[in-house]
Amino acid sequence: MSDSNIFHVPSQTLPSVSPADSYDAFRAQDTPLIIDNGASHLRFGFSTAPAPHSSPNLIAKYKERKFNQPLLLFGDAIDAESGAKGQAKSPWEGDVLLNFDALEHALDCAFIQLGIDAPAVDHPVLMTERLSSPLHSRALTSELMFEQYSVPSLTYCVDSLMSFYQNNRSNPFTADGLVVSFNTASTSVVPVLGGKGVLSHAKRIPWGAQQSTEYLLKRIQLKYPNFPTRVTSSQTSWMLHNFCEIAPDYPSVLRALKDPLKLRAAERIIQFPFALPVVEEKTEEELARIAEKRKEQGKKLQEMAAKNRMEKLLQKETDLQYLVNLKEGRGENKREWTNTLQSEGFDDDAALDETIKKLELDLKRARKKEVEGDDAMNVEEPSFPLIDVPDADLDDDSLKEKKKQKLLKAGFDARLRARREKEKEKEEKDAEERREEEDRERNFDEWAARLRREQEAIMNRIKDRGRRRAALSDRKSAAAQARMKNIASLAADDRVSKKKRKAGGEDMFGADDEDWAIYRKINTAAASSDEEEEYNQLQAIESKLLTYDPTFTAQHTHASITSQRSALITAFRPQYEEGDVEGNTRIHLNTERWRVCETYFSPTMAGVDSAGLGEVLQSVLARFSDAEKGRLVKNVFITGAPSHFPGLPTRLYSTLRPILPPEMPLGAIARAADPALDAWRGMAAFANTGGLPDVGVTRAEYEEWGGERVKRWWGGNWNLAEG
Amino acid sequence: MAPKGSSKRKAPNDGSTTHTPTLAEQLSFLHSPRPFKNPDYTKNVNRRTKNLKTVLSQERERERLERERKRQEKEELEQTMDVDGEVRQREAEVEDIPTYSSIEAPPSLLPQRHYCDITGLEAPYTDPRTGLRYHDKSVYELIKGLSASAAKDYLAARGVNPIVR
Repeated sequence: MSDSNIFHVPSQTLPSVSPADSYDAFRAQDTPLIIDNGASHLRFGFSTAPAPHSSPNLIAKYKERKFNQPLLLFGDAIDAESGAKGQAKSPWEGDVLLNFDALEHALDCAFIQLGIDAPAVDHPVLMTERLSSPLHSRALTSELMFEQYSVPSLTYCVDSLMSFYQNNRSNPFTADGLVVSFNTASTSVVPVLGGKGVLSHAKRIPWGAQQSTEYLLKRIQLKYPNFPTRVTSSQTSWMLHNFCEIAPDYPSVLRALKDPLKLRAAERIIQFPFALPVVEEKTEEELARIAEKRKEQGKKLQEMAAKNRMEKLLQKETDLQYLVNLKEGRGENKREWTNTLQSEGFDDDAALDETIKKLELDLKRARKKEVEGDDAMNVEEPSFPLIDVPDADLDDDSLKEKKKQKLLKAGFDARLRARREKEKEKEEKDAEERREEEDRERNFDEWAARLRREQEAIMNRIKDRGRRRAALSDRKSAAAQARMKNIASLAADDRVSKKKRKAGGEDMFGADDEDWAIYRKINTAAASSDEEEEYNQLQAIESKLLTYDPTFTAQHTHASITSQRSALITAFRPQYEEGDVEGNTRIHLNTERWRVCETYFSPTMAGVDSAGLGEVLQSVLARFSDAEKGRLVKNVFITGAPSHFPGLPTRLYSTLRPILPPEMPLGAIARAADPALDAWRGMAAFANTGGLPDVGVTRAEYEEWGGERVKRWWGGNWNLAEG
Repeated sequence: MAPKGSSKRKAPNDGSTTHTPTLAEQLSFLHSPRPFKNPDYTKNVNRRTKNLKTVLSQERERERLERERKRQEKEELEQTMDVDGEVRQREAEVEDIPTYSSIEAPPSLLPQRHYCDITGLEAPYTDPRTGLRYHDKSVYELIKGLSASAAKDYLAARGVNPIVR
């Protein structure tokens, strides 16, 4: 991965306060005011200016939190206030001018920037509108311009035609050509014959830079569903501008990219800003201090425990002493003795003796522990004398004793047996291990082969289990249907044969232990104990192989085989470690670079049901006669800010060449000299030639006809309300 | 009438002597004077911003009405006068007037190429369970591991919106 492939997302730059222009040059002049009203940028200026002011066509009315000031921000200024970006509105919705409040504010800001301080905007205005824009948009714009700003005259034009004019200047304008204009929310193809746009044969594809950006963003989100930071649309459009290109032949590019190596070579890595987590590394002293503290606490606890034990011991000793004294002081008077006993809480003599014995034992044990430390005591075999004496010879008390002793003996015997069995098992295991070692040392290959076979068998079983589970979840599979049959037969009544039923026989299910095995087949929740067993076996075998067999590496283990990802997927979306923060905030763009631009030629890739650029060109050209076609294709012209994708002219050429008759000359595809600003420049140039008064709608005409009517001319729209 | 030569700068907020105006305030146009606006113009305040759908349907209605009207005119003319050439020319004009919806590109007629929903390469195969197209079996393993919502997202990116059953 070359370092030169890594690009960092540009950081936000704060806008600067720029002073307004001086109006003195233009006051009381009739210099035309040129406004290129684009869906992404608003370009405005006087026609004699060398370059327009260009600013994003966005308005934000925002109330600032800190000082509670309302703000009206325009264009770039929105970046100054982070909360304003959410409130930004554009006059455009896709390709249609809808939000006139926003337009009014935008024009206000534009005029303020130009420094206009006259009571009215007293300049003829030349404005752009979209190809065949709806009359509603035009009506409201005219109303705004004439009533609000009192302009003397207003002309509408189509931006692509103006850009064409700029690049094929002639007076009078008589150029021919095919204009392919890339706009924010649409792409249009306009044929121009003899200097007039043949708008009836123009076509517009509802796919533009805005939709491409959204598509790229969607693809990135699908590829990186757990990306730590949010990717904004401005970052996406930066990515679109800088890294995406148009493939000269998409299928062949894809075929080349199939190879993971080429995929890696073609990728661009975008590094997003990330923050390294601050690891609080305690210094060594601190660590030592903490360890000390813990040790001290432990010691303290131990001391406390020892003290408690001492206390209890003393208490027990005193109790014992007391009881022994009591016993010795037992007088001849039995009644007195029983009274004393009861007051102490003992039922009879035997109970007292028991307690004394217990206390003595405890004391002995404790003292032994103290003296020798934690030594395991040898369990003496307690004696059970009464068990062998037959019942008849004993009295009530002794019977009770005998029962107790029987129980104790049974428990003792069982424990002994268990211990012996455990020892036996251990011996067996040791013997087996010894045998295996001998095997291994004697015939290493065979042993290794055997183990490997076992491992494969277990892996196959695990795979089968997984497959069976998958099959069960699919309703129509054979496994699922077999299961249903089993359930049905279990639930059916006729499992018991008729004879038995007549004889009053009952359902004999369960009498045979193996009947219950059917529940294992029915139960879809996979038998987890079996799985665990198999996994444990697998682990044991694999560890043995790993330690002794040099040819069995970690790659052969089951774990690595299942988690293996193909080379293609790793090339497509490289995985980074969990802790690699820098790696995890990277976006790798490989196939997306061409895929996103390919949508211009086939919008159905992204779900938009429309013909692509190639098809549209074909259909537009088809409506002309051959002679006209020849004139059109001699001069194919690309304009619009998104048209600077590398590879676009070659692709258009190769799209057009097959659909034209072979002998027709196809000129090289020309690009606008300055795709973003040429429309404005064309408009300024046209205005400077003085052609505005012929084609503009004056105030008087507006008041007579209303806002929708325009004069039909070569650069403007032509629709129903034409005059 | 605002006096000529009044300040053209974007003025910081009036009365904001308690703090230096932030960058945003300096850039704000809210309090800048707008002498060029016609104070007598009262916007139709009740006018709401119509949304795209209503505007477009309005356009279509008008276009349809226009067409009807022109057709009727033409019929009347045919009945009264017999000026074929002129009538036919007008007819051609009527049909060709471009409107916002008429210049929209038609749906695609070419057969669609299948591209892999995950990687973007060519996709000869389709997964029957989710309907996603994939490039080869390693991508298929990936698809098997996708959750239902992730699979739906991939399909939505292609424009296929499966009905939730």
